[in-house]
Amino acid sequence: MILRRYGILILIIFLILAFLAPLFMGPANETVAPPFSKPLWLDLKSPAPRSYSVKDEIFSFKWDGNPPATFSLKGTVSFDRPPERAFILLVTPSGAYKLADLSGAKRFDIDIDSRDVPLKLELGMDPFSDLSEIAFSERGIYELIVKSDEDATIDLNLDIHVGRWGIFGTDQRGRDVLRLFVEGIKISLLVGISATLLASTLGMGLGLLAGYLGGFVDSAIMRMIDVLLAIPTLPILMVISGIWGRGLWQIVLVLSIFSWMGTARVVRAMTLSIREAPYIENLRALGAPTGYILARHLVPEALPLLLAQMALGVPGAILAEAGLSFLGLSDPLMPSWGRMLHEAHVFGAFTGGAWWLIFPPGLGIAAICLTFIGIGRQLEERTDPRLKESLRK
Amino acid sequence: MKSGNYWMRRIFTSLLVIVIVLSLNFFLFRLMPGDPTSTLLDPRFSPEAKEELLKSYGLDKPLFQQFLLYVKQMLSFKFGLSFLSQKPVWQELAERLPNTLALLLPSLFLSAVLGTFLGVMAAKGRGKFSEKIVLMSGAVSFSFPSFFVQLVLLLLFAHVLPLFPLRGSASIPPPVGFWNLLGDKVWHMALPVLSLVLIGFGSWALYVRNLMVKTLGEDFVLLARAKGLREGQILWGHAFRTALPPIITIFFLSLPGVISGAVITETVFSLHGVGKFLLEAVSGHDYPAAGAAFYLLALITVICNLLADAAYALVDPRISFRKVRR
Repeated sequence: MILRRYGILILIIFLILAFLAPLFMGPANETVAPPFSKPLWLDLKSPAPRSYSVKDEIFSFKWDGNPPATFSLKGTVSFDRPPERAFILLVTPSGAYKLADLSGAKRFDIDIDSRDVPLKLELGMDPFSDLSEIAFSERGIYELIVKSDEDATIDLNLDIHVGRWGIFGTDQRGRDVLRLFVEGIKISLLVGISATLLASTLGMGLGLLAGYLGGFVDSAIMRMIDVLLAIPTLPILMVISGIWGRGLWQIVLVLSIFSWMGTARVVRAMTLSIREAPYIENLRALGAPTGYILARHLVPEALPLLLAQMALGVPGAILAEAGLSFLGLSDPLMPSWGRMLHEAHVFGAFTGGAWWLIFPPGLGIAAICLTFIGIGRQLEERTDPRLKESLRK
Repeated sequence: MKSGNYWMRRIFTSLLVIVIVLSLNFFLFRLMPGDPTSTLLDPRFSPEAKEELLKSYGLDKPLFQQFLLYVKQMLSFKFGLSFLSQKPVWQELAERLPNTLALLLPSLFLSAVLGTFLGVMAAKGRGKFSEKIVLMSGAVSFSFPSFFVQLVLLLLFAHVLPLFPLRGSASIPPPVGFWNLLGDKVWHMALPVLSLVLIGFGSWALYVRNLMVKTLGEDFVLLARAKGLREGQILWGHAFRTALPPIITIFFLSLPGVISGAVITETVFSLHGVGKFLLEAVSGHDYPAAGAAFYLLALITVICNLLADAAYALVDPRISFRKVRR
């Protein structure tokens, strides 16, 4: 009921999130943290993930928590002259680890991850052991040292990942779920609104024609509605998306072709009742052409009801798009809520108990649909106040 | 006379659905860019096999003749070979059909019964707890995606609390003995059917409630009350019986949606059914199989529609066609 009263407000918040938030965030498909990182707020006592920019030869930091999941070191080290002996050391309270050998060249591109097997072998460790757990096993002062016999210019980034990231964690590719969620709002709104607009235009046109012209046109359109209503939508969407490709606009087009029937019926029924009204008869007696009567009298009369129908139709389109994406029949490069759930399902969010991959997109779809239902009901009550009274009785 | 007219129209509509589905199948797959052999025949086939299959599909004839041949083949369930498994498509579908029906029929029946009962109760007790439940479950079934609810159910009752299997429609290897087999089937089907009922009953209940609220406000209900009939008799014997025909109308209007839901459900629970077969065929570009599965799903819808019509004729002997329309 809250949704009913604040429907428009919630919609505006969604819109702001969808179109302004991406300006402050990176690209949606970017890997930001290790896969399946949990949301940060699950364990507030442990240290947060850290990212250090290392410019000096000796860089020290404090670590006072459980061992991190992984750490990585990226960037460049360059020397004035190729050094004879140079290396990067990670000095921990329990020992020192030589992360890289830098001798014999002027410039090194560093890309080290604690999961690299060659690195572990180099350090004389078992390839299946966890370097970050062993290196960060104790709390205290840690130092990252670039040791060389030449002057070095250092530009390194040390990232320590703790297996937790952001508000909603990360997915199987290490993408930020919050970023994907925001992208999903955009896709859902885009598909929902544009498909409904198209379908309503189609439905209104055909409904007006059927209702006003009657006779053969009417029965042909009504038969068409019967047939389309009896065809299961999702299977045909699947078949068409398999053939036509998986773009967003194909989905919108097919969705609107298969969802104009409800609007057409409502508009037809309304037109039938208005057509017989005395003022229309008067207009006809005055010689008004059909097009004029349709455009100036029937459409404005049917419009408020049509708006309500449109708002109530948006959830259907959103759910259909989500269903199609959930089945994996959408563009794999375009993150949407259905796609997120598809990936959660396919990449085993359950076996890891990764619920943060399931709830944000699922509840997002539900929230947006409830919002539109609320707006639709409100519009319906505006056009037909009897509905309101019968609810309060 | 009138009833004959009604049946004629219903059967005509059903036939039209089948014809349209078949033509969609035919033209969608054939009007794709490129040579039809590249989409209809597996590229791995030898040229001789290709030639033979071309003939059996009648691809050397003009398009219209091809279409007639295609319709004839579809109506006699000759679906050709699947690209993926190299087995006859019909055999594959026949293997999966029982699973789809075992998912569809119980969930349809249960959600209809539960939804109708709750809807009538909500109409009786307006403003009470039962009505709030119905209004809420209605909103849920219109806005929550089925696969999300099912994923959550899986997470709760198969992962956190391992009561039900995570995937599949039968244990591997299957248990021995008829009763064990049946028990295994029920155990695998319980969660999918339950989830479909959970999602489906809300919209039913909401619809029935709205109908019943209208009916309970009519004069004949007032008369029944004035006669001093018991409340239960008024509710079920008078009001509900009057509201029954539109309920049956909505039953068959909801069928395509339920079939769509079954496709998703089979995917979520990895059930060995027609819907999952369709998905595999579509994503594997297995066109004969995809077309056949789609045709079969449409056929199930049409048959259920006709059954619903028969039920309609039973509860409303007048069956004047115009009443159904409005």
